[in-house]
Amino acid sequence: MAKSNSFFRSWFASGEPWIWMNAAAVGLSISAVVGILLLIAVKGLAHFWPSDVDLITYTTETAQVQQVYGEFVELDQVSVEQFLESGGNPEWVQPNAEIMDRWLVKTGNRRISAPDFRWIFVDQISARTTPDDVMVLERIEWGNAYGVPTTLVTGADPSAPISGPTLVAALNQSIAAANDIRDQISDLEGGILNNINNRLERLRLEERGLLLKESEDTERLQEISAEQATLAAEYAVSERKLRGLYRELDQDELVITTADDIEINVRVADILHAWQPNAMSGLQKTGQYFSNLWRFLSEDPREANTEGGVFPAIFGTVLMVLLMSLIVTPFGVIAAVYLREYAKQGVLVRIIRIAVNNLAGVPSIVYGVFGLGFFVYFLGGNLDQLFFPESLPAPTFGTPGLVWASLTLALLTVPVVIVSTEEGLTRIPRSVREGSMALGATQAETLFKVILPMASPAILTGVILAVARAAGEVAPLMLVGVVKLAPTLPIDGSFPYLHLDRKFMHLGFHIYDVGFQSPNVEAARPLVYATALLLVTLIVGLNLTAITLRGRLERLYRGVES
Amino acid sequence: MDDLVQTGRLSRKRYWSNKATQWVVGLGGAAVIGAITTIFAYLLWVVAPILLPASIDSHLDFAVVERQPLLVDVSENGEAILRISAKGILDFYDAESGQPIAAYNLGLNIKRAQRVYPTVDTYALLDEENRLLFVSTQYIVDFDDGTRRLTPKLEFPFSKTPQAMGNIESFDAQWLDDELVIASNAGATINLRYFNKIETGYPLPKAFEVSVSSVVDVSSLFLGPRNQWLYAVSASGDLDVIGIKPKNKIARLYQGSLATNDNEVTAVTALLGRYSLMVADNAGFITQWGIFVSKDGTQLEPMRQFEVERPSVRMITEPRRKGFMAVDGEGDLTLLYPTSGRVLADFAAGLSPDAVIAISPRSNLLVSAENPSLIQTFHLENEHPEISLSSLWGKVWYEGYEEPLYSWQSSSADNDFEPKFSLTPLAFGTLKAAFYALIFAVPIAIMGAIYTAYFMAPAMRAWVKPSIEIMAALPTVILGFIGGLWLAPIIEEKLSSVLSIFFVLPAGLFLFALLWSKFPEKVTARFAGWYGLIVTPLIVITIYLAFDAGPFFEEQFFGGDSRAWFRDVLGLNYDQRNALVVGIVMGLAVIPTIFSIAEDAVYAVPTHLVRGSLALGATPWQTLVKVVLLTASPGIFSAVMIGMGRAVGETMIVLMATGNTPLMDLNIFEGMRTFAANIAVELPEAEVDSSHYRILFLAALVLFMFTFALNTLAEVVRQRLRARYGSL
Repeated sequence: MAKSNSFFRSWFASGEPWIWMNAAAVGLSISAVVGILLLIAVKGLAHFWPSDVDLITYTTETAQVQQVYGEFVELDQVSVEQFLESGGNPEWVQPNAEIMDRWLVKTGNRRISAPDFRWIFVDQISARTTPDDVMVLERIEWGNAYGVPTTLVTGADPSAPISGPTLVAALNQSIAAANDIRDQISDLEGGILNNINNRLERLRLEERGLLLKESEDTERLQEISAEQATLAAEYAVSERKLRGLYRELDQDELVITTADDIEINVRVADILHAWQPNAMSGLQKTGQYFSNLWRFLSEDPREANTEGGVFPAIFGTVLMVLLMSLIVTPFGVIAAVYLREYAKQGVLVRIIRIAVNNLAGVPSIVYGVFGLGFFVYFLGGNLDQLFFPESLPAPTFGTPGLVWASLTLALLTVPVVIVSTEEGLTRIPRSVREGSMALGATQAETLFKVILPMASPAILTGVILAVARAAGEVAPLMLVGVVKLAPTLPIDGSFPYLHLDRKFMHLGFHIYDVGFQSPNVEAARPLVYATALLLVTLIVGLNLTAITLRGRLERLYRGVES
Repeated sequence: MDDLVQTGRLSRKRYWSNKATQWVVGLGGAAVIGAITTIFAYLLWVVAPILLPASIDSHLDFAVVERQPLLVDVSENGEAILRISAKGILDFYDAESGQPIAAYNLGLNIKRAQRVYPTVDTYALLDEENRLLFVSTQYIVDFDDGTRRLTPKLEFPFSKTPQAMGNIESFDAQWLDDELVIASNAGATINLRYFNKIETGYPLPKAFEVSVSSVVDVSSLFLGPRNQWLYAVSASGDLDVIGIKPKNKIARLYQGSLATNDNEVTAVTALLGRYSLMVADNAGFITQWGIFVSKDGTQLEPMRQFEVERPSVRMITEPRRKGFMAVDGEGDLTLLYPTSGRVLADFAAGLSPDAVIAISPRSNLLVSAENPSLIQTFHLENEHPEISLSSLWGKVWYEGYEEPLYSWQSSSADNDFEPKFSLTPLAFGTLKAAFYALIFAVPIAIMGAIYTAYFMAPAMRAWVKPSIEIMAALPTVILGFIGGLWLAPIIEEKLSSVLSIFFVLPAGLFLFALLWSKFPEKVTARFAGWYGLIVTPLIVITIYLAFDAGPFFEEQFFGGDSRAWFRDVLGLNYDQRNALVVGIVMGLAVIPTIFSIAEDAVYAVPTHLVRGSLALGATPWQTLVKVVLLTASPGIFSAVMIGMGRAVGETMIVLMATGNTPLMDLNIFEGMRTFAANIAVELPEAEVDSSHYRILFLAALVLFMFTFALNTLAEVVRQRLRARYGSL
């Protein structure tokens, strides 16, 4: 006893157990990061895999035997107690069992047989097969449909419905044709018609502006009304064409049979994509996987953002961040140069430096509040008064938009650039500056030809870190310009091409919106993980670049300093 | 430099480019200072108006045609003044010039005129033959000859013919959507008329009539909220509250006296919303009596008391807010607001005792008409009467509640809603979230920092530091989403497992360390700096085991259902998104911040101190505790401060991982609402320049100043520390 006591005493005195605890803190932090990244990666990437569709025969709570087609989503365990508490059938409980396994199965066919996700208890499943001919239809509305295709009625020859072995090929052809027409329609709507509308709107505003100024320029007014008439005529032509395309689109119809033998008619125009996962080989599935991934990256969202892609959000994030870095880089670099190269190192500079450091610690939402009040309502409101009186009271810049979001985030990230640039400037030895001056260069020449090039990796690191920070910020954006669904991209083919006043979509806000504000969280969840993965990849990638750059910089100056 | 130009050694171009650079750079420096001050100044500028005092100023006196006034009012936009007089004539005047703009003669001898509550443009007129007529005003703006012209119009919402009412002494009318209720009295008998499914432009349908006798000698009547009850008040302040809905179940709810300390009641009025009565007495007190329903039935309690210089003889209420103007015997005005308990402003107006007075719908103009030919207007500068230091931070007794409380509830569907702007629950929520986050983060971050800086092998440190930086870069929206959608359901379902981790993990580590010490030192010494790596799989396994052990704990300690146990035994409610989730997730967001600053501080401790200590025979652990930590403690302190600054201002995590309910409860299983999340939710909806908007800016200013102070403190501590290291 005495021996073990003394062992513990010396063991504790050596600090060994505490060192282990400290080590565990590091391990815990690292496993948390890795765990989060893995969680997002696994859940985000799994979403695009064309999983097999099972034909499941099971007994429902009302003791009916039912058949459904569905994709297995996850295995869950409920305790027997919970099961009974929530009114479960006691006969289903195995003797001595404490937990019961159940599957979450995505059965789709929304609007035909609710619900589109079901819990099925494993013990109640009597048969499970994967029939080759079952097909998954990704529809524009109402999510996926699952069923066996039986006939295809084409508009070309309605009297001769296609069925049998040629059906799948014919269907794919028909879907391809429909997609083609849809592309034409969106070209027409988004391009020509949108352009005409924009020009009409500009003419209307110009007219109103002339009237507001009580201008006597009747000639211009007449010109305007003439232009309006031509545009209206052009509009009518395009609209007729559009109606024709819609008619053409709305011709083919596919009949599928669900697992419980209900026949559903699906317009081919509503089908984006169809595949038969059970019949696909591993290679085909991989191809399908990457095609799904690509469509996620390149398509617009559908169904209140719970389906489809995230292209506008990627576009909005990138554009906002680009604009922001255009603003933040010169501002941050000049400020850092001032602090390090030009200002007298005294109390004032120390105060500024502390203040800059503090700005980095001010909560981002405060910047959002400032941006909304100062940029949007104050600056934007006054800009509207000065330059856009003709469209008032509808605000142009006096409402949250792209430019204000970029400015707000530039303000938020400027300390990052300043601190990083200053660090780079500090590393440059005094002798370099003195050498340059001794050779007769002015201070400005020294700065531009010697100092800034040497500091450029540091500046770049700062800008990358700023971009990474800005790309992940959501709270201030919610106040100054982000929307859940933007009807148009901030860049398009109509004058002035880059629309700084438009609201935009953002990956981070998309996650918040789809994950927390959408009506069908269960259906949207995989998409949220995928979006999160995209954002994390972007930000971690940027940060790794910055870290690598910084490492290189350190090695570089080790040479200069010695 | 000038010399250089003169001697021609520096070309003009180079000289100027040098100068220009100097200016631009100087400007850039100034811009940084400018940006910081602008943020602060702008927030302050938006907040400042709520601190400005209210004022009353005489605006315009003008003579008008002689008539005996019964009622005055101001149009919605404050441009026109309406006077209703006894001969049934409605005169309209321009509020800026006092010029008459229209007059209508109804051809009735009117004895009483009142606004129909809660409208601002419909009036009930009672004529000498006890008939009621309803009249609405409408103002039409046109630009016919290039100038703006306002034309007042009269409309009869129901019928042009007055409606016979029987014997009437006083009355009150309330019009809500398609229901109009008129309460009138003759002595102690109260007649109630309910008109249902009414429509503007059509005659009133037949009324459902019922009468009830009051126990008091009625002198004024006020219909309560949604016509649910009726206040009958006698001249001496006796009150009878009668429930009048449903209309076939009329019942007395309350009776009592409104007098306080045996003072004589001089005036009674009902505030907007009709949840409270203001009672003035001859001792100069004005008491707010609030009605609320408790388990003992309907009750009235004095909520707060104002003291004014001279006893008030009457009170004029604001039509859209809960404020009111007290008029004393000298005709002087005092502006008061109940929610904030503020006496806002007073003005020696010297109005005549028989003047009729009204406050405009936008509460910026007071108009008085005296018998027979004078109209006076007064400007009211009173944008934010509901805000005071005590109403923002203290307990406030709101209408409809039994007692004063802290509450944040900024808006509601009702127009007569009393906004509750107490910042205390939000400040509490902010600190609660930060507290739980720090409890989780500080030990892990600091212990991790100590290990990384002091024990870890350099090769491992080279990749641990960047990994932690990556952790810092994880967008909080992702952490919040994982907390709210992934972790919260897991914790809810496996609460006992999660809680058991906090015990199982240290115990497992301890056992492992014990086991490790039994290995021959030859083996263990080789892994000295790699404990962090060795222990990681152990952590994963232990957490996995803890999840399996969860049900066992649940059976042993929590009676099979931990959530029910917490609820029944400890009285703790369980929300799915709660402080535990926020603590863990926000902790993860804060760990890297604290970690990297603390790590720097420990790492920068001069090595000769460590070597000295070791040379004197101290073990590495003793050196760490007695020398290194002591030296680095200011740095660790500043790391915690900066971490706290981050936790206090974090928005997305709190927004997504809590229920955002403004509770005042430290319970770890319930959520909270923080300043930052509150701003993010409410600011986009807040009307610009309203009290709500300015208070949200105030919340941002509070956050700004709090984090600025924390960070400055941390920075100063760090700079001192650096100087000390330098001198060591």
